[in-house]
Amino acid sequence: MAQVSTQAAVQPVEVAREARPERHISWWHLIVYLFLAIFTITSIGPLIFSFLSSFKSMSEVLIFPPTIFPRTWITTNYTTVLGDPAFLRWILNAFIYAFAATVLNVLFSGMAGYALSRLNFPGRNLIFLVTLAVMMIPATVTLIPKFLVVNDLHLVNTYLALILPAMVQPFSVFIMVQFMKGLPKELEESAKIDGASIWRTFYQIILPQVRPALAAVAILTFQGAWNDFLWPLVALGTRDMYTLTVGLFYFKSTHYTEYSLLLASSMFNTIPILILFFIFQRYFIEGAVSTGVKG
Amino acid sequence: MATEPVGSSLASAPPLTAEGRQMRGMRGRPKRLGRDTLTAYLFLTPYLFVLLVFLILTSLYGIGLSLFQVDIGFTAPQFVGFQNYQRLFEQLFTNPGLSVFWISMANILKFVIAVVICQTILALILALILQVTLVGKGIFRTIFYIPAITSSVATALIFLWLYNPDGLINYLLSLVHISGPDWLNDPLFALPALMLLNIWTTAAAFMIYFMAALQDLPKELLEASAIDGANRFQTFRYITVPLLRPTIFLVVALGTIGSFQMFDQAKFMTNGGPLNSTLTPLLEIYNAAFQDAHFGLAAAMSVLLFIIIFIVTIVQRRLIEPSASNR
Repeated sequence: MAQVSTQAAVQPVEVAREARPERHISWWHLIVYLFLAIFTITSIGPLIFSFLSSFKSMSEVLIFPPTIFPRTWITTNYTTVLGDPAFLRWILNAFIYAFAATVLNVLFSGMAGYALSRLNFPGRNLIFLVTLAVMMIPATVTLIPKFLVVNDLHLVNTYLALILPAMVQPFSVFIMVQFMKGLPKELEESAKIDGASIWRTFYQIILPQVRPALAAVAILTFQGAWNDFLWPLVALGTRDMYTLTVGLFYFKSTHYTEYSLLLASSMFNTIPILILFFIFQRYFIEGAVSTGVKG
Repeated sequence: MATEPVGSSLASAPPLTAEGRQMRGMRGRPKRLGRDTLTAYLFLTPYLFVLLVFLILTSLYGIGLSLFQVDIGFTAPQFVGFQNYQRLFEQLFTNPGLSVFWISMANILKFVIAVVICQTILALILALILQVTLVGKGIFRTIFYIPAITSSVATALIFLWLYNPDGLINYLLSLVHISGPDWLNDPLFALPALMLLNIWTTAAAFMIYFMAALQDLPKELLEASAIDGANRFQTFRYITVPLLRPTIFLVVALGTIGSFQMFDQAKFMTNGGPLNSTLTPLLEIYNAAFQDAHFGLAAAMSVLLFIIIFIVTIVQRRLIEPSASNR
């Protein structure tokens, strides 16, 4: 393995090979792999350790020095958590919020992105500029008034309070515009010759061309809504309406020192996102980059 | 829908009056443009609704609200001018140590400085390490990115346990003969504990930006510097870092904006305590509004926080990217 990597490193810079002895390069790689090992442990160590510990008993989870693997594997933490009917409801609520926000974001940001990137109409540049500007507004500024608006609309403690403000977000629109801008003009022209309506051109011709963008928007929205804590905390009032994150906050307050239960409960928040991440990794990363790096 | 027939009939009618002629001139190619505009706005309707109601209106509402005294449900909102701001600034100039808002500001400044510096450096190191990794690059990238995708609530729960006096972190410290503190219950260590947790989650997220930027670096330049006999450090210092400036600014700016608004862990793990040592402005805004029902005051705090974030970001841009003022 070491040989292969040394060769590959040297290849592009032939001159450097003569200047540097081979040993120097392998020493360099040793450091690189040492760092890789350290960062691997710090990156996934806490999660793996917590996952293993969620199968420990309440006393073992606090043993000093800690054990890595449970001495006896128990599942009572999970059965206790799932035995709480409220907990299942929180998972359902979080799923409803995340799913609705995702579907609506994909559809509405696709539509908005299509208009802003492919259609010519007065006000287009202004709307795009405003989109860029509002992406810079910290959520802090709008938190209190957003609550008052939702309160005035009598939506507090409803699913709509969560979904309505999240149904199409500037960053989704931005991603869509960036992707659709690059498509060739001929796409629409041939559709027009075939007599397709604008709506059909949009969903049969343009949307299939930007699948990576749709995936990126879907994933970022789902992740954002599923992990959202502040807004559900503000907008929801009763226990049965809590999303999982807010539910976990109250779960934590009632089981304060029962760490094994807390760890098991946190897995319900983590594992769905991890599964999505492993399936759609590419889109997670592409999406994250495209929201940050502006043309 | 209703505007379309009007538009087309206007355009097809002979321009009798000056006004009509002017309108026709403005519309250019009559029928088509009106139709396209209508379609475009139909496509944009959901987005414009959210944009106007939940982003623009709320921003303006927030600024207006900061000039009122509002306690929903009890009395009618009362216009108080700049009194909310005045109150906050009086606290600043008389005894900021007694004002929870300014305590939270001091906390967040420490937090932002520590977190942004560490997360930027760590993100860059992670990206550089991946850049020179030849075997298993994709796998390591996936592994390094995992802290960024786990939710702040889940990691808060996990670290609540890791930080407990007999937890893993103190165990690791005990291996090197340091007796660790009761992290989250010690006013000296609670904020650093939250900093560490934040650096852990955000560095991974920003690593991606540096990876993208490193990939786009002109290879000829790096090769030329190697041919000229520059060592790895010199190449990094004089070629890579200057070329990365825009990305460094982006990461620092996004990191700053994000860290200033720290809420989840402060609410979840310590609820601002012990002794307000982890109280953040956003948590104080939340408390002022939803515990004390001082919505106007909370709105004034939000506006101040926004202004501070804005100024800091501009200063950062000047410092990191002095030449980028033309963008």
